[in-house]
Amino acid sequence: MIYTFKLQNEIFKVHLEEEGQLSEIEIDDKKFPVEFKRVDDNLYSLIIEDRSFAVGILKRGKTIEVYLNGELYEFEATSSRDIKTAAAGAAEGIQEIKSPMPSSVVKVLKGLGEAVKEGESVIVVEAMKMESELKSPIAGKVKEVNVEPGNAVESGTVLLVISSEE
Amino acid sequence: MFEKILVANRGEIAVRIIRACKELRVSTVAVYSDADRSSLHVSMADEAFHIGPPAPGESYLVMEKIIDAAKRSRAEAIHPGYGFLSENAAFAGMCESEGIVFIGPTAQSIRLMGDKITARKIALKAKVPLVPGTDGAVTDVEAGGAAKKIGYPVMIKASAGGGGKGMRLVRKAKEFSAALGMARSEAHGAFGDDSVYIEKYIERPRHIEIQVIGDSHGKVLHLFERECSIQRRHQKVIEEAPSGFISAKTRKQMGEMALRLAKAVKYRGAGTVEFIMDQKENFYFLEMNTRVQVEHPVTEMVTGLDIVKWMIRTAAGQKLPFKQSDIKMNGHSIECRIYAEVPEQNFMPAPGRVEYIRAPSGPGIRNDSSVYSGFEVTPHYDPMISKLIVWAGDRTEAIDKMRAALDEYIVLGVKTNIGFLTRLFKEAEFGRAEIDTGYIERHPELLKAQLADLEPALAAAALGMRNATREVEEPAAQTRSNWKSFARRLAVSRSQAL
Repeated sequence: MIYTFKLQNEIFKVHLEEEGQLSEIEIDDKKFPVEFKRVDDNLYSLIIEDRSFAVGILKRGKTIEVYLNGELYEFEATSSRDIKTAAAGAAEGIQEIKSPMPSSVVKVLKGLGEAVKEGESVIVVEAMKMESELKSPIAGKVKEVNVEPGNAVESGTVLLVISSEE
Repeated sequence: MFEKILVANRGEIAVRIIRACKELRVSTVAVYSDADRSSLHVSMADEAFHIGPPAPGESYLVMEKIIDAAKRSRAEAIHPGYGFLSENAAFAGMCESEGIVFIGPTAQSIRLMGDKITARKIALKAKVPLVPGTDGAVTDVEAGGAAKKIGYPVMIKASAGGGGKGMRLVRKAKEFSAALGMARSEAHGAFGDDSVYIEKYIERPRHIEIQVIGDSHGKVLHLFERECSIQRRHQKVIEEAPSGFISAKTRKQMGEMALRLAKAVKYRGAGTVEFIMDQKENFYFLEMNTRVQVEHPVTEMVTGLDIVKWMIRTAAGQKLPFKQSDIKMNGHSIECRIYAEVPEQNFMPAPGRVEYIRAPSGPGIRNDSSVYSGFEVTPHYDPMISKLIVWAGDRTEAIDKMRAALDEYIVLGVKTNIGFLTRLFKEAEFGRAEIDTGYIERHPELLKAQLADLEPALAAAALGMRNATREVEEPAAQTRSNWKSFARRLAVSRSQAL
């Protein structure tokens, strides 16, 4: 079985083959055996070539969260169609500004068609009485504005879309 | 001792207080809002009273509701914890007039220390140093001389001010008059009032505080210092005792001054005198917190004294049975606050359901928390998940222990600052105790996640995906009734017995 994951705009292909307790993983032509054991609800023990890891795993929709050595890896499981779009998106430099948590929109700082610098704040959202400015990771123009002030949004809602193409 | 105490709080501090009560064989009453029905403090207490909707203004902050619950449950005392009503003099007064003991100082002590101007006056009278500055607004003629007398660098601040408007940092005398003009015009523009005052500017300030505890028989003792210089959003994130910076001489002076201040208001219960300190160990009084502090555990770890229990005992009228020289500090303790938040996004809160949590354990590790797998961190309250506290022989060993403990911590479902804290505890300046309140801003590299173990993480992701698909693919196995199969097995074994 081949799984494709996206992590911070990078695509990874993982080939998984199973033989009883042991699975074989192939990433970028590198093959290694993995012993995988569930030890608690979301807690797993992984042994890879004698190296042992305690890993927390949580699947949420298309995201698979892996918690390892204090860091959270948020992999987006993608189909081959998604990859094509993602690759196209990366080439064209299209970035979705998503709500990081359930919050309400305070102010939309950039309107449709407006130019945005890299690292510039584009929208202000509020949660727990604290306002946060979300910044654009790329320079470009606002291609879509999906919300207006006062809107309540869920975690992951696409608020704005920034495009670097002219 | 009291027979029953109402805990007017929620979260980890309510749990902490209930535990202390259980040890003292005192029964407990919890109060809870709609958002806290499933909270740990509710199930741990002997009785629980619902007090309204999630918004604190409609539940935990409504004095009448708390008093009513205390009366209905016949609780003799109320422990307010921290936040909410803990530093509310009117509430302490209400308890006093209703014949309920407020576990904390008297309403009068809270009132005196709660007002910044009064507190400064008391400090001045008790010869506790304040940040050098002018006594109120200054004229253009007075200003230059005042700045020289205070000593550069100085800060010009708008009297009506706030939010950095009308503030100017001046390092040299020749820059002063120009800066004064700008500060005045900015203050006028922002507040319609151009009056300014001048204060000494403290470079790379450290936050150091002294824990005090008093009984109602006139005895007040200090339990040494805590350093809380690592802050974000003006809120403490890491606290430790002792400070890795101050000398024994400074420690002694700070303790004595904190006691002078506490005695000036006849302090009872636990309290904290906060100081700001420059890099030459000059320290100045900031304010007094008249309640138990979030970071009280580090003091408990190094002194061996249970602060919450002593709060309860002194409120019940017991005398502190030890003297100042009996109190010793042993080893080093560090606390870090684990929050549901996103460090990369200016530590924005990230509420949600904690799907899975596994806290570290082992020698010298303490985890004060009220969160369990399945717990919902709601947007209504502070998104703190837990306080992780370690104790070890010295500071270096304590840092190593904290690193190891954080490594064991697993939280899934909400984003946390655990990765950020892990990186911080490995950082060299922190290791050398070269810290101040601007530390986090100076180290933006710590905010970024270091996803270095990509191979095992990807392997885990693939195996996790496969497992998830399997669970969906095998609904037949899920729907099989355990009762039916049990009955069937029972029938089989019976028939065999026959």
